[in-house]
Amino acid sequence: MGDFSWPFFYTYPPYFTLQPVKETRQKQSALWIELILKYCRHHKVYQLTTDPSDDSPLFSNQSINRRLTQEGRSTFLTELVARGNGLWLDNNQRTCLVLWHTAEQWADIVYEWARSLGLEGSVTTVDELSTGDEVQGTELAGMPRAVLMEALKVLERRGKARIFKGAAADDDGVKFFK
Amino acid sequence: MRRRPGLQGLQRGVETREHFRNLGDTVKETKLAHLQAQVASFKENLEKFALSHRDEIRKDPVFRAQFHTMCANTGVDPLASNKGMWVQLLGFGDFYYELGVQIVEACLATRGVNGGLMDLDALSLFVRRRRGSRAEEISTDDLLRAISKLKTLGGGWSVTKIGSRRLVRSVPGELSTDSNAVLSLAQDKGFTSEQIMQQALNWEAVRIHHTVEALLRDGLALIDDQDPSGACGTWHWVSS
Repeated sequence: MGDFSWPFFYTYPPYFTLQPVKETRQKQSALWIELILKYCRHHKVYQLTTDPSDDSPLFSNQSINRRLTQEGRSTFLTELVARGNGLWLDNNQRTCLVLWHTAEQWADIVYEWARSLGLEGSVTTVDELSTGDEVQGTELAGMPRAVLMEALKVLERRGKARIFKGAAADDDGVKFFK
Repeated sequence: MRRRPGLQGLQRGVETREHFRNLGDTVKETKLAHLQAQVASFKENLEKFALSHRDEIRKDPVFRAQFHTMCANTGVDPLASNKGMWVQLLGFGDFYYELGVQIVEACLATRGVNGGLMDLDALSLFVRRRRGSRAEEISTDDLLRAISKLKTLGGGWSVTKIGSRRLVRSVPGELSTDSNAVLSLAQDKGFTSEQIMQQALNWEAVRIHHTVEALLRDGLALIDDQDPSGACGTWHWVSS
């Protein structure tokens, strides 16, 4: 995986305070979103929370004694969702699914994977798409169900796949089409 | 006994004046011719000099700066025209235009971070990295020269001195003396607070507030409300 390289602003104290001037805030927001996506992708983090007691190094830098407040986290995650790179998992908007690939992009990746194995026309379980032997070593490995379902819904809308409800959630299946 | 002015006296006066004027004209003409010859020979010598030291002027930033000083002292601007002999002789124009473009690039690329106010040393570093190791060496003098040419384009290019640092401004706008005072106060630590400002500058709260607001608006300052020492309203000056 290699070491994650933090951007310069991560060691710059004022970036942990929401800036009052609109233009400055937009720049700040853009830099944070870039960092969030890069960090999550690097460390395979799929979920973030606005809870300020969460000590993830992403939102708090011990070395300069600065951390994002709940308001700060909430602001940037909201922006993330607005850009299609995030999805709130609850109505209170506390937990956020991070999509470093948008749902559309994930859909492409899943479909491309299925096509490369010649799975068009056949049925596979949803779980297999993230835990099966065939996905080991690909980006799909370890993908949380929530992200996977978002991608499959996109494929369903495109008419490229169909989701089957199983008796239990584990039994959900998916059929890919040409 | 005083002689009264007679007709002859008047005529003689006119003649004398005429003589003097003629003489004056001749002197002027010789002087002009002499000067023209001097200028011509000066230009010729300068050209000769430039040509024989062409490589040094191009490669050595120190020598280049000296050459520019010499030209400035004699009222010659080697960059004044794109078609002049200097450009043909030295390829100067391209050199500074290229540098100008690189400066603009550097300032634009870092504008998000520094609000359009870039430290001259940082700019120099940025431009050098961009040019790579194979390009001609450049000096601060070259940068300043290129920036002074950029001014022609408008867009508020200027170099401001704050404390011991020189800052290149790439966005329109003037720094007020108040803003300058606050920025130079912040330059050592990189930040200042309303408390520090009040102690150092002895300003009223309203004045401090106004100045800070202006700096924030211009993107030259950022707020940091998590100062561990607990002083509220600490704010930072951005520099790259």
